[in-house]
Amino acid sequence: MAHAAQVGLQDATSPIMEELIIFHDHALMIIFLICFLVLYALFLTLTTKLTNTSISDAQEMETVWTILPAIILVLIALPSLRILYMTDEVNDPSFTIKSIGHQWYWTYEYTDYGGLIFNSYMLPPLFLEPGDLRLLDVDNRVVLPVEAPVRMMITSQDVLHSWAIPTLGLKTDAIPGRLNQTTFTATRPGVYYGQCSEICGANHSFMPIVLELIPLKIFEMGPVFTL
Amino acid sequence: MAAAPEPGEPEERKASCTSLHLSYWKSLKLLGFLDVENTPCARHSILYGSLGSVVAGFGHFLFTSRIRRSCDVGVGGFILVTLGCWFHCRYNYAKQRIQERIAREEIKKKILYEGTHLDPERKHNGSSSN
Repeated sequence: MAHAAQVGLQDATSPIMEELIIFHDHALMIIFLICFLVLYALFLTLTTKLTNTSISDAQEMETVWTILPAIILVLIALPSLRILYMTDEVNDPSFTIKSIGHQWYWTYEYTDYGGLIFNSYMLPPLFLEPGDLRLLDVDNRVVLPVEAPVRMMITSQDVLHSWAIPTLGLKTDAIPGRLNQTTFTATRPGVYYGQCSEICGANHSFMPIVLELIPLKIFEMGPVFTL
Repeated sequence: MAAAPEPGEPEERKASCTSLHLSYWKSLKLLGFLDVENTPCARHSILYGSLGSVVAGFGHFLFTSRIRRSCDVGVGGFILVTLGCWFHCRYNYAKQRIQERIAREEIKKKILYEGTHLDPERKHNGSSSN
């Protein structure tokens, strides 16, 4: 989860998020250099004693400041499109879970190997145990195996919601009447937090998502399955 | 993240939370957003870019004695050298990550299949002896 006053991205827990962080660093470096150039130009403008009222054209400069931004945009677009198509790859998921958004909780359905359906409500502050995270912890977590491709089918029962886990690089809208699909493969075990990311009413900020990723062996023999 | 402190170890947890916050606030961010410490290749590129900027700007000034134009050359040198070092370093970093991933997969395969007919080493030794 994020720590206090964190501005940057969380550490990656999936290969897609690793690629997104790399792309983010790449774009940020380009942005930094552009900002540096603009600040320098501003400094020159503010400190010059030259005043020229008879400039008629500046063809070379206009050519440069047209072509250069086009090249920069291509440099940013190519890795971006690569990651975009990477996120659309469906690599034979071994597990499918349905996630249904409600006002203001999530319902999860594990129907692959039996029927397990449960609701996931935020823990109210009065019910928090010492060590629990306020506004983030839930009564029933989504338990999933590590290093197994998982398919999430996301929809909503009432209004728009969005199922998001920043550390996995996931954010998928839950739209009533539509089934959206996202896949991911987690690379390390742990507990990962997310929050609803589409305004959905009074308690939009109070319907978090908690993923508990455990080793496959423990997942297979654990109480999550009901055969 | 912050569990309740056990009776025997309150100082350790406080110290770890404090050090986490201190380490966050200690990270150097150029122009307020480029985290030079935690971004791979950023520190290396900025340092070489600064060196290139000084060399280009000062060198130009030595030859021409034009201050303003030398500053422009310095800024241009900084941008070009930083970009060049950045792409070169990121390319090598990407190659290194691919090699690490291949090595990790091969180690996993070796551990899983050692002693079985799928052992990659047995296949390799069998083909070389034939």
